[in-house]
Amino acid sequence: METVLQVKDLTKRYRRRRAEPVVAVDRVSLSVRKNEVVGLLGPNGAGKTTTIKCIAGLIKPTSGEIWLDGVEAQRQPKKAMERVAALLEGNRNIYWRLTPRENLEFFAGLQGHPVRKVRDYIGELIELFDLGDKENTSARMLSRGMQQKLALACALVRQTEVLLLDEPTLGLDVETSYELRNVLKQMAARGERTILLSSHDMHVVQDTCERVIIINNGRVVVDDRVTNLMKLFQVSAYRFELEGHLAEELEMKLKERFPLLSLSSTDHRTYVDADLVDGSELYEVLDILKVGDTQVKSIGHKEPNLEEIFLAIVKGQIK
Amino acid sequence: MRYMALFNAQLKMRYIYLKRYYFDTISMIVTMFIIFLLIFYGAMALMGGTRADTGETLEGIVVGFMVWTFALIAYSTLSWGLIEEAQQGTLEQLYMSPLGFGWVTIFRIAAHFIVNVFMVLIVLLLMMATTGRWLNLDVLSLIPLVLLTVAGAYGIGFFMGGLALVFKRVQSALQILQFVIVIFIAAPFGWSPFMRFLPLSLGTRLIGQVMIGEQSLLRLPPGDVLFLIGNSAVYFGLGFLAFKFFENIARDRGLLGHY
Repeated sequence: METVLQVKDLTKRYRRRRAEPVVAVDRVSLSVRKNEVVGLLGPNGAGKTTTIKCIAGLIKPTSGEIWLDGVEAQRQPKKAMERVAALLEGNRNIYWRLTPRENLEFFAGLQGHPVRKVRDYIGELIELFDLGDKENTSARMLSRGMQQKLALACALVRQTEVLLLDEPTLGLDVETSYELRNVLKQMAARGERTILLSSHDMHVVQDTCERVIIINNGRVVVDDRVTNLMKLFQVSAYRFELEGHLAEELEMKLKERFPLLSLSSTDHRTYVDADLVDGSELYEVLDILKVGDTQVKSIGHKEPNLEEIFLAIVKGQIK
Repeated sequence: MRYMALFNAQLKMRYIYLKRYYFDTISMIVTMFIIFLLIFYGAMALMGGTRADTGETLEGIVVGFMVWTFALIAYSTLSWGLIEEAQQGTLEQLYMSPLGFGWVTIFRIAAHFIVNVFMVLIVLLLMMATTGRWLNLDVLSLIPLVLLTVAGAYGIGFFMGGLALVFKRVQSALQILQFVIVIFIAAPFGWSPFMRFLPLSLGTRLIGQVMIGEQSLLRLPPGDVLFLIGNSAVYFGLGFLAFKFFENIARDRGLLGHY
């Protein structure tokens, strides 16, 4: 499928007086194909927002290229802006003194769309985001969740090929975050837009994105499909719950065979956490335990989640 | 078509604000009128005369006050307006318009000007009724002259708006400049030949010649009109260039979304 967003060796350095420059983004390269939904993850200060704002033309890169649907953003900024819209800082992207409909009409106009041409689409967005009851209420009177939904709708009404979403669920309660996640999932399922989404909320990313790019210290450390990352952990994590304490001899045998295995215990239980490559290794563990007549109370297959994978990658535990 | 859509969006927003927040709109008109009354009766007391023998000076005050009102609105649209957009987080969205931030701003200026003409007209009628001096309202001469005159104020607004993008806290300087604008308008033109180089100064004098001297734009000295065009173009252009310069710094330092 054709690549719609391409970032090549993007670098952003902030100069400082009498101090070394701060490198916010360091030779980041990424690409997003048409209608793909890609998550951009990273700890605070990793360079996610700077990357997104450089793509949106709001921050001037120090070097590198940004291509939006065949247009180089630095050379043809106006043409590039026809292809990209962004939701930044959650609910701060709307006019609080205008109603949802007025906001949508204004942002359509800002993109150069006459109101009569987008009237139906505005109606669809109001329905999709469940803003119908509040259509004529000033945005400042809406709840934070509604404001955030409206801000997302305002980005959508621009009808651009690429949509950049920077922390779209930031500051929302669980229920509203779930609601917004569902809207994003619907959008992703419809395959109408190419989306680059940055979020700290792993549920949002896990639910909506096909692929994740993890940035740490301004550099891309992982660029892979979510399913691949999940598999990486899925096949490896097992927990054995044993009755009583494990004999020292067995413990040595296990550690000799599986050096990365970890043991922990309580008064009556011992827990063995092991990363196993395949099913045969599972039987090997059981064989070792069988020798000592150890009672296995349970074997758990640890369900991985993106948050753990993310933390492991950022801490350098997996590469 | 696309540019028309942008202009309509700006005009509609301005109209909604004035209508929805009508109390604010009325307060603005009343405040402007009260300030005028203070200046008017203050001037009469200082001159110790009646309306009859302070005639031309009072008419000059009406004209000067009208230009100051226009200039203040022009200046605020850009300086305070940009600060407000940055504070509410919409400035970055305006920057992302494919029609360019320059056009977004120019249409905003135009929308504000159109809507504010009616407000200033109300204040002007109130002023004329108070002074009892009914001035010449030759709209065809006055609109281009007012536009040309306040273009200098827009230039100052652009400059201060640009400063606000980079330095953020410039409110004190903005307030001081509001009064500096009064000096540009009120300073006696005959003081020095250099007065005509100031923004707003020559324009105010030419507007006075239309409103008080009952001349039309075509009868004004062509040299003065051409000088006004050049003067306004320079101040507007310099202000816009300064704005682009500061905008570039703000984009380089990633400050557009900060406030």
